[in-house]
Amino acid sequence: MSWDYLAVQVLNGLSFGALLFVLASGFTLIFGLMRIVNLAHGAYYLLGGNIAISVNLATGSYVLAIVVAVVATGVVGLLSERLLLRPVRGNEMLEVLVTVGLAFVIADLSLAVFGGNPRSLKVPAGLSGPLEMGPVVYPKYRLILVALAVLVGVGLYLMQRHSRIGAIIRAGVDDRETVGLLGINIGRVFMWLFVFGACLAALAGVAGAGILTMRPGADTDILLYALVVVIVGGLGSIQGAAVGSVVIGLIDSFSRVWIPEFSYFAVFAPMALILMLRPRGLLGRAT
Amino acid sequence: MNTQARRTLRTAGSALAALALLLVGCSSNGSGAGDGTSTPAGASTPAGASTPAGTSTQGEGSSTPGEATRSSADGGGSSTTGGGSGGSVTVGFISPVTGFAAALGTDMKRGWDLYWELNGDTAGGVTVKTVYEDDAGDPDVALTKAKRLVEQEHVDMVAGPVLANTAYAVANYVADQGLPTLQITGADDLTQRQYDPHILRVGYTSSQSNFPAGQWAYEQGYRTAATLCPDYAFGWESCGGFVSGFTAAGGKIVEQVWNPLGTQDFSTYVSQIKQLDVDTVFIGSAGGSDAILLFQAWTDFGLDPKIMIGNCCFADEVFLREVGDTANGVHSFTYWAEGRDSDTVRTLVQEYEKRYDEIPSLYAAGSYMMAQVTAETLEKTGGAIDGSKFIDTARGLTFDDSPYGPVSFDDHNNLVGPVYLTEVQSRDAGGYWNVPVKTYDKVSQFWTYSPDEYLKHPVFSRDYTGIGN
Amino acid sequence: MTGRGSVVRGAAGAVLAVLALLAPLLSAEYVLSLLTLMLITALLATSVNMPAGEVGLVSMGHAGIAAAAAYGVAYGVKHGFGLGVQLLLALALTLLVSAVYAATTMRTNGIVFLMITLALGVMVYGVALKWSAVTGGQSGLTGIQRPDAFRTGPAFYYFVLAVCVLVVLLLHLFARSPLGLMLRGIRDSEHRMSSLGYAIAPAKFVAVMVSGVVAGVAGVLLVWHSEFMSPATAAFERSAMAVVIIIIGGIGSVMGPLLGAVLVVGIQYWLSSYLERWPTLLGALFIAVVIFLPGGLASMFRRGTARPAPGTVHPALDALLPSGWRRRTHEVSAPPEPPVGSPAIDRKGEGT
Repeated sequence: MSWDYLAVQVLNGLSFGALLFVLASGFTLIFGLMRIVNLAHGAYYLLGGNIAISVNLATGSYVLAIVVAVVATGVVGLLSERLLLRPVRGNEMLEVLVTVGLAFVIADLSLAVFGGNPRSLKVPAGLSGPLEMGPVVYPKYRLILVALAVLVGVGLYLMQRHSRIGAIIRAGVDDRETVGLLGINIGRVFMWLFVFGACLAALAGVAGAGILTMRPGADTDILLYALVVVIVGGLGSIQGAAVGSVVIGLIDSFSRVWIPEFSYFAVFAPMALILMLRPRGLLGRAT
Repeated sequence: MNTQARRTLRTAGSALAALALLLVGCSSNGSGAGDGTSTPAGASTPAGASTPAGTSTQGEGSSTPGEATRSSADGGGSSTTGGGSGGSVTVGFISPVTGFAAALGTDMKRGWDLYWELNGDTAGGVTVKTVYEDDAGDPDVALTKAKRLVEQEHVDMVAGPVLANTAYAVANYVADQGLPTLQITGADDLTQRQYDPHILRVGYTSSQSNFPAGQWAYEQGYRTAATLCPDYAFGWESCGGFVSGFTAAGGKIVEQVWNPLGTQDFSTYVSQIKQLDVDTVFIGSAGGSDAILLFQAWTDFGLDPKIMIGNCCFADEVFLREVGDTANGVHSFTYWAEGRDSDTVRTLVQEYEKRYDEIPSLYAAGSYMMAQVTAETLEKTGGAIDGSKFIDTARGLTFDDSPYGPVSFDDHNNLVGPVYLTEVQSRDAGGYWNVPVKTYDKVSQFWTYSPDEYLKHPVFSRDYTGIGN
Repeated sequence: MTGRGSVVRGAAGAVLAVLALLAPLLSAEYVLSLLTLMLITALLATSVNMPAGEVGLVSMGHAGIAAAAAYGVAYGVKHGFGLGVQLLLALALTLLVSAVYAATTMRTNGIVFLMITLALGVMVYGVALKWSAVTGGQSGLTGIQRPDAFRTGPAFYYFVLAVCVLVVLLLHLFARSPLGLMLRGIRDSEHRMSSLGYAIAPAKFVAVMVSGVVAGVAGVLLVWHSEFMSPATAAFERSAMAVVIIIIGGIGSVMGPLLGAVLVVGIQYWLSSYLERWPTLLGALFIAVVIFLPGGLASMFRRGTARPAPGTVHPALDALLPSGWRRRTHEVSAPPEPPVGSPAIDRKGEGT
């Protein structure tokens, strides 16, 4: 196995991991403060991707597609939070179950609207095609995915460290009752955080639609990966999601090359192992 | 702290319990296996991961694929129907119109309906009624629906389903009830080692159309080849055909790469192919999402689409609708060539497009032909459907110009007919289609072997993908 | 069923029992086959329900165990072994796979338990898919026949019904055993039970083994029912389906799995023939149940006072835990659905 081939496979793992990170970060952010395992996250991903494809087909504009997809999905997130999650606010289990039903409905209806054919997003010519880097030739778009993930990661990190909302989130992760007692309108924070998470999922959908297809079931496929990422990394931790997505991306990539027979569960076996040895995940908070 | 953490875990746990619904609800495929499961809509014999509760249904506001035609309730209660004019026969039609293979099942239903619409629903003096069932791509659902068709609707025969695992499950059950069943699934063994006089395949086996592909590749001067096929029966059989043909001619298979059905990210596989220095690459794809993703990765990594040789289903319409221009010039070996110059194909494409604004896919054409075989057999039997006798009669049919071209059946109940080398071309009327550039006539599922000789070999598998290998 | 309050429920149960017994006379062959499938699905859901309701361990991989048992039978049939050997194979595989599940999860709870079982289920699926020499791979195994004794639909239906009743009775006894009560204590406060000196891990091991055997029984019935076996039986969706069923039906209740199975199987296998947008219906229904009936469908059949409400204490714990201990609804993984039939609940059912 030559070095440049190895480099390409590493990049393959990293770029797939990058997509997983964008998706997982919103998921883990919501969990961190709201304690909701938002299982509609995959549905938002699918919705975002599909809207982007439709807008792009209709207008030919890539930028408009991104904006409309993210905003529209954010609105759907807002409506779900206000209309469905609010009535069961305070009972985390019911909240999560509601997101499940929601996922169900969004997936079915978006398939009714967008059809069952697999669809993908036409990436502008400038962003697609191969890029030559010395001996290594690699698709530009996948490198952009890595850059996007780094941007999202750094952005979230700065937001958590240096903004008021970040402070609330950090405090909320530790003790949300106290945050409520401090006079902060936690309900409003929850709402916007949920919307923000939905927007991140839509962004992941737009990004993913460039290398993956939007089709029936794409939502659960990718959500399962995202779940593995956050579980391995540690629920609620952005850094954990980053580490988890890199680890899972690389395992996924190399298991396909080296142990193709086991690629069906290459991602799940390490997850089970990590959980047995370290139930809180790699970077999860100590119990 | 301790309680807090525990609480977190508990909440998360209960929460995840709900994943369940999600899966049931949104997924339609077996996404469970990580990458393993989902299958492309459009896959040909995928057998996949099936989901109990699939979800999507091809939307588009067109008719209601999920709905059964209730009017046909009474088939008379007996499994054989006497003919005679004025009577009616009932056909149970099973296809996956929800779930991961929704696109495929919808195409099938449209093709089936189109035939009766164009030719009238009377044949041999009886009216043909259809009861539709959705199997969601799941063999157990398919089986339950088949039981409903037989036991409650008292259908006289069954057509479909298409995914290999659902087809095996249903065909065996229906045959056990003494009813005839028509299939378009590719699963080799259904008309080979598991031959049953009640089962007729109105289509080709998965390997059948790929034997000539191997031979042709060698004639092009290719001496080394790699294969990239999905890692299950359909992929093994597709590869098996190509590898047998190519090695028999003298070519050498350098590497065989297997991707799990429903692979999301093809970059690793394409990278693997890229580092091999081979003359040609055979793609035994089940089509749909897998084919699209593979092709995108292929061009993104700067590989030349011209070195690909596709099987029946790789560059099918489901793929072309999405990929379009970049696939121009891609070669495939297939039996449904929508760009073929023939009256039947022209009418089929025209009428189909008029109704659905799409060029018909392999599955639409295949189902159209199932309907045609049903109708013409009924003409011969005078409207009677009587178990394996019906299949015997059907097997005697020959077609000068079927959607697949001039075809007949062999004594193992499989089609013998032309295989086309096709090239993707843009169509004057818009869209892209596969135009035949070379024809191999009368290709049998046993290729050049005699049935006895051929059947001595094991069925193709991951470990056995080529006669003489 | 000792308390007076159970009389009403007893009567309802009697009606249900009569209906269940008469079903073969009243329904067409296909409907009976669907009823049989509902019972089997309910049994699989029960195997998930037991550890979920009793110990708070929600498994997302039990279809893997059921599939292992089913493959045991299928392999036996394909190789011409007799019924005894088939069942022995099924039992051996069930115990083996369950033991793997149990051993790897005995020190976990909540989400970790769920994710490990999920991973194990996916691995069973992977093995079924890959080991095609034995399992027939993706195409599956055809030509499996159930024993002649219950070849006919009605005979098989009665057999399945009897097995279900038997399993429910045995689980009921198990739940009331000292071990069963201890498991409940673990569900409500593992920390406390551990401090009290109980050996948590072995208890969990046994609980998962018991539920694994139930799943195995369901797997055998399933393969006899469909007379076909493919990896789809082990698929993640099947495991997930079982969880959906018990949430809709009511986690921890005896009737929950049956009610959930009737509804979900009914929608998926029957209603889907008539209604294209059935997944949306199922999703909306699920949301409605979650918001308006947190105890699942089973709680509808209980009088108002006996319905789970936030802050209720599981009556079965009174005997086990020091008084004054209270748990909050949203801290546990299952809605506090009192198990039907235990004396403590029957008292509560009266509204005393």
